[in-house]
Amino acid sequence: MFNDRQPRSFLDPAVLARLAAVPFVARRPMVGTVSGRHSSPHRGSSVEFAEYRKYVPGDDLRRLDWRAFGRSDRHYVKEYEADTNLRLCLVLDTSGSMAYSSGGISKIDYARRICGALGYLASQQGDAVGITCVADGIVRSLPSRRSPAHLRLVFDVLEEARPAGPTRLPEVLHEIAETARQRAVVAVVSDLFCEPEALATAFSHLKFRRHDVAAFHLLDPQELAFDFQRPTRFLDLEGGGAIFADPLDITDRYHTALGAWLESLRRVVLESAIDYHRIVTDEPSEQVLARFLVGRAAGRSLR
Amino acid sequence: MTFLQPWVLAGLPLVVLPLIIHLINQRRFQTVPWAAMRFLLAARALSRGYSRLRHWLIMALRMLAVAAVILAVGRPLSRGWLALAAGGRPDSAIVILDRSPSMQAVAAAGGASKLDTGRRQLAAALATLRAGRVMLLSDPGRGPEEVAAPDALVELATAGPLAAAADVPALVQSAYEYIREQAAGTTEIWICSDQRANDWQPDDGGWTGIRDALAKVPQQVRVQLLAYPVPAGGNLAIRVTNVRLETLGRDRRLVVSLVVSRQEDGERMTVPVTFETGGIATAVEVEIVGREAVLKSHTIPLERSAETKGFGTVSIPADANPADNRFFFVYDEPPPRRSLVVAEEPASAQVLELAASIAPDRGAARVDVVSRGDLAAAPWETAAAVLWQGPLPEGRDAELVQQFLDRGGQAVFFPSDRGAGGRFAGCSWDDWTEHSRPVVAESWRTDQDLLANTLAGSALPLGDVEVRRSCGLTGDFVPLATLPGGAPLVARSSRDERVTFVATTPTARDSALAAEGIVLYAVVQRAIDRGLVPLATARQVDAGPTAATLAAASGGAWTRLVGDAGSPSTESGLHAGVYASGERLVAVNRPAVEDTSPPVADERIDSLFRGLSFTRITSSAGDTTSLVQEIWRAFLIAMLVALVAEGLLSLPRSAAADRGARLPRRLEAAA
Repeated sequence: MFNDRQPRSFLDPAVLARLAAVPFVARRPMVGTVSGRHSSPHRGSSVEFAEYRKYVPGDDLRRLDWRAFGRSDRHYVKEYEADTNLRLCLVLDTSGSMAYSSGGISKIDYARRICGALGYLASQQGDAVGITCVADGIVRSLPSRRSPAHLRLVFDVLEEARPAGPTRLPEVLHEIAETARQRAVVAVVSDLFCEPEALATAFSHLKFRRHDVAAFHLLDPQELAFDFQRPTRFLDLEGGGAIFADPLDITDRYHTALGAWLESLRRVVLESAIDYHRIVTDEPSEQVLARFLVGRAAGRSLR
Repeated sequence: MTFLQPWVLAGLPLVVLPLIIHLINQRRFQTVPWAAMRFLLAARALSRGYSRLRHWLIMALRMLAVAAVILAVGRPLSRGWLALAAGGRPDSAIVILDRSPSMQAVAAAGGASKLDTGRRQLAAALATLRAGRVMLLSDPGRGPEEVAAPDALVELATAGPLAAAADVPALVQSAYEYIREQAAGTTEIWICSDQRANDWQPDDGGWTGIRDALAKVPQQVRVQLLAYPVPAGGNLAIRVTNVRLETLGRDRRLVVSLVVSRQEDGERMTVPVTFETGGIATAVEVEIVGREAVLKSHTIPLERSAETKGFGTVSIPADANPADNRFFFVYDEPPPRRSLVVAEEPASAQVLELAASIAPDRGAARVDVVSRGDLAAAPWETAAAVLWQGPLPEGRDAELVQQFLDRGGQAVFFPSDRGAGGRFAGCSWDDWTEHSRPVVAESWRTDQDLLANTLAGSALPLGDVEVRRSCGLTGDFVPLATLPGGAPLVARSSRDERVTFVATTPTARDSALAAEGIVLYAVVQRAIDRGLVPLATARQVDAGPTAATLAAASGGAWTRLVGDAGSPSTESGLHAGVYASGERLVAVNRPAVEDTSPPVADERIDSLFRGLSFTRITSSAGDTTSLVQEIWRAFLIAMLVALVAEGLLSLPRSAAADRGARLPRRLEAAA
């Protein structure tokens, strides 16, 4: 357990201060419990006019539009958009593969930065933040809450997350889709080392449940380049066996397999219409988050 | 392939160095924790076709580069296109040069002859091979002579052209004797020849013995044939077949018969033939159709003041072989036809005297009938032949006859009525056989010797000569005519070809030799003709052993009047020209067979050396390429090519890395 004054390794106040200038918005209407920054499927009391509706007995007479009555001799009630808060469900992949680092920052540390910044930003604008750590199943889960104290718990979970075991991300995403009672922004931070077809069904399931899905796909530069010079014994970080390979012999075919997998993944995200961001971990996380936030702010018209 | 530094080849196992390094590298692997195992698994499942091929190609190229370096340091030698036979630096090399006239053929006007080309190529090859000892063998009689340096082969006078045919079997035999007695270690026999049949004599029975002997010598012997078998195209050869001096009153003229020949049928063409004698040149045109043109009895008038003895040349324009474009001839008044008759029976003496006294050219002929007791006083020095009827000479008589034969005289022996007794020239008479009825010769040699067909081609009428009584003959002889039952009628001694035996007498009691006088006349006159040859003061001889023997017999007193300049005195009789020996003139020319002898087929030559290490290198006149040359540069180039190819094959790996680095951005843009 961390105390309040202890700085979090994955949080950079300067970066958070700069990112706070851009609101974190959902691409879909959210159903919240309190007023917030996000559009709601319901009518509410915001200043943004939504529509006229015929008066029915029982409506609050204060919402009757007398001017409209004067013009048309009919009773209309003026309705306004409701602004609500959202639930941000951070899905952090803590499988063994996330521990990989070719020299720079590891994928799990990079994921912590993404999740920490998103949680902080959401919490700052009154949204509920929860987290689910995924490996062979749900390793640890915190439901979404709005309180600052809960945010500390989320940070604690991030701090304590240790990558280990295989990945069963699609199954966990199906479980989240089934168990989340209300719409949420589901931010998946993972290397997505699983079958693209399985991911496609999981994303579709989340979309069906009207969740706003964002995927942060983390890849190490070495995983793309594969520029080993010597014969190498590769140990599976997810607990599988070891493979001995001569890079001279296998590099071309590795790239072929990687290219095919990335192409399949590209088709999956296009068909699922999720907010997909592929990130090479040598790219600063601030740029990635800024691109993510700006992209969402520009496309907030969806309801 | 041969190497000048063969010990370097001991490093050839280093070829596997890249493989060993590869295997060591495989063992020096690094262990890396890895996340994207799925792609490694997928990569291993993918076909390894090109990747594996590239992998092994790189390995092979590295090994090739190492091998090329080792081979280049070993200083490899190329032995021409067709002779990549295994071999090394020979301890001694024996060069057998075919110096016959046909080897002087050139490929193009002004080009090098086959002999010059061969000498140059051999000199270069032996210099490159660094043969320990180079021996030149061009005359079987002299044996091998050591050459100071291979380059000397080009300039050496004893390696120059000859007018005589080469006796290749004898030369190879001489090489074998040298190897057996003096050569140690590896010996190479280099034969430079144009494979002419008259030089190689492939049917000579001695070849088998030579081959077996060479196969059995303890030293390692390799035979290399540098062959120039392609005949000179369009070559013409000229040859004088007869020269005689005719005197008509005070006028004299030369009557010359000649032949212009070529080896292949060709178009009809006119050949200008130039006669030169006594400083005066005359020309006549000869039209040749087919393979041969004959000019018979061409007369050349001589000045009245000219000597009766002289020489001249006949020549045709230069062509592919300059060695057969000129022919030397000499002329003189023929020696008197003088012969001796020694007969115990007057009837025989009379017949023999008559047969010897009528000269074929209506000239004078003198016959001396000598009794056995007056033999010592007989004119042996001026006689051409002796016709002997009676017991074979013995004692002092035999010595006189033998001296006469050694000088070049001919002897024809007829049997004594007493039959068996005495022995001469390896033969002796046996008992007489009385035939119940006359017999005639069953067969006789018509191709050569005393019973040969006439110049017109018709056979002598020996079948008409009835023999009633014949005397047996024993000893070493070659039958020229045989009676029924195989008994010889006419025979030549195997020990002395100048001795002929007739197994009957010309008396009517014994045979019809006198009645059917043509055969006896032909035999006697032919023997006299043969005996006249050594007596003539002007003589035509073929270059070769006969001429060499003549020159040697004269005590080295041959003086060249015209002919090949610069020929060493040790080779008298082997170079064409006119020579004076005392009062005699000798014209030495190439043998007639040189003009017509075809090349021996390669397979036939190969069969002569079957079982030996034999390599043929076919070249051509004027060929300037080296038989043996160092080719280490080629191996260095091969090494460079291998390294460049290895680099190119290894290059795609970095290109793939670049492609991998570009992948995320491209796919991100697509997403």
